[in-house]
Amino acid sequence: MKRVNIYTPFRAEIKEIEKKTADVNLYRIALPKRIKYSPGQFFMVSVWGAGEVPISITSHSAFSDGLELCVRKAGFVTSLIYNAEEGTDIWLRGPYGNGFPLDIAGNSDIVLIAGGIGMAPLRPLIYEFTNRNKKYGNVKLVYGSKYPDDVIFRDEIEVYKQMGAKVIVSVDRKNGEWDGNVGFVTDFLGSIKADMVSAVAYVCGPEIMIKNVTRDLSLMGMPHEKIITTLEAHMKCGVGKCGHCYAGCKYICTDGPVFSYKEIREYQLMQAWEDNK
Amino acid sequence: MSDTFILDRNHLPYWLRQLRKERKLIGPMRKKSGDIVYEEVSNIHEIELNCPAILPPVKEFFFPATEAMLRFKKGNVNDNIMGTPAVIFGLRSCDVSALNLVDRFFGGDIKDRYYTKKRENTLLVSVGCNMPDPTCFCMSMGTGPFLHKGYDIQLTDLGDRYFVEARSGRAKNIMNKFRHLFGKPSKADYEDQYEAVHLSQTYFEKRINLEGARNAIVSGAVHDDFWRSVTARCFECGGCVYECPLCTCFNVIDRKYDGTVERARVWDTCMFKGFTRMTGGVLPNRDRIRRTKRWYYHKIVYGPEQIGTFGCVGCGRCTITCPGVIDMATVGMKLSKGVDNS
Repeated sequence: MKRVNIYTPFRAEIKEIEKKTADVNLYRIALPKRIKYSPGQFFMVSVWGAGEVPISITSHSAFSDGLELCVRKAGFVTSLIYNAEEGTDIWLRGPYGNGFPLDIAGNSDIVLIAGGIGMAPLRPLIYEFTNRNKKYGNVKLVYGSKYPDDVIFRDEIEVYKQMGAKVIVSVDRKNGEWDGNVGFVTDFLGSIKADMVSAVAYVCGPEIMIKNVTRDLSLMGMPHEKIITTLEAHMKCGVGKCGHCYAGCKYICTDGPVFSYKEIREYQLMQAWEDNK
Repeated sequence: MSDTFILDRNHLPYWLRQLRKERKLIGPMRKKSGDIVYEEVSNIHEIELNCPAILPPVKEFFFPATEAMLRFKKGNVNDNIMGTPAVIFGLRSCDVSALNLVDRFFGGDIKDRYYTKKRENTLLVSVGCNMPDPTCFCMSMGTGPFLHKGYDIQLTDLGDRYFVEARSGRAKNIMNKFRHLFGKPSKADYEDQYEAVHLSQTYFEKRINLEGARNAIVSGAVHDDFWRSVTARCFECGGCVYECPLCTCFNVIDRKYDGTVERARVWDTCMFKGFTRMTGGVLPNRDRIRRTKRWYYHKIVYGPEQIGTFGCVGCGRCTITCPGVIDMATVGMKLSKGVDNS
């Protein structure tokens, strides 16, 4: 039996860095060997001397040669990744996590709701669901950001539309040039022309946004097991050993990070949500 | 089934000396300060067997408080997986039970080789407790004072001799090498051992019904007011977690020296505020009550759901450590006796 150390990262190379917004970069990474990953999974990205951070996968393995990661400059390690240059090494472990359930989508309508950098893990789903070889239902995307400058995949929205997705883009507050929608994503849930009772929703964004969106979708008649979201937590290992992401008898890293609203309520994964009841 | 032997008390040091020739011998030793700790044995006759639950628990030999995991130098990564052959002598039934549970956690589908390698190379020679401490409640948890399974070698002190049971395959192999030291137990030896086991059970001062505690929590009888009163006594010292033989949370840190980056893991504690802090300052467990609840829920409620057993072996180390008297025994007892929410 091959003995593998689960904590040893492997070396990969940053092929290309695409600046998306003031603090978000998209990294195209060449992997040393072909690694199969699915939407919703994540990699542990290492910077030697600084640490490791979990970063969700932004690319779809069927549509991309290597790996694409979307990193926002937010903390100690991500700032160092942000300052990295093309052609340098990056160390990875993964892919980890369960990924989004795809078979529950069936041929019903698919609603994707993204907030800010929450668009990154949902991006491979757009590629997955608009792929005509597979018989999925209509894809509706609601994509909210704070300011017009923060719309990370602004340049790709036309591409999503061409692929057949209906897209609603909004910003919380407008500054400068913006003639699109203004308001929180929850304000536009009513504009989605989909049969909410049979549809499947995939939600990703800041915690407060997930909380409000899942509540609203539930009120619109969507069954709780069909509201899918991905949680984030402080993680050190990514393999269910370090204990930091443990919440309500589940490890976010190995049992998640993708959970349905039903699971979140059943296992009380977001205890902070219980406070406002 | 176990192989059973009789070992004369005078032959024990000789046997340990023979074991030490092939393996590192670790046992309870008295320090100059008076504390008894597990450490490498220098003088075999100085091993202390009449001692309470030893702090820190024996987990530190398999999961050290600070452990270098990876070394990165000039683009190469080396992993620092160690597994020096060792024998730990003098640990207690609760320690062995705890290690068996931690084995399931670090083993399983995703193996933590840092732990499992050390564990594979270590022989455990446990001594059953003839005289449990006032803080012990292993009998309530079914993890002591003597074990029926799951041990390597178990000794029962019968005064002038030891009743020796070898259970695991590697233990039986080792016993075969030293057959000349061990006798065949007579009927009287079995009777004495039986008596020692049962006499020990009468000394327990604590009987903790964690099943009752679990039922109280699951049935919704325990309100946050109870946890608020528990939390009010918490000093957030993390002692319960550090001294718990089952707690295995760790933090990972990178250190730099001489052009080498060392990635090490250190024990971490869910009682600390920053334990769940995320980038950008999001702090899911900002509330102290939630942190206290998290520890008790993990051990009392989620343990049985996840692994089929409580996350507690009744060793009483948190009782010894906790300055606020909100250890597992105290809280478990309160919970099982019915919480007054008024």
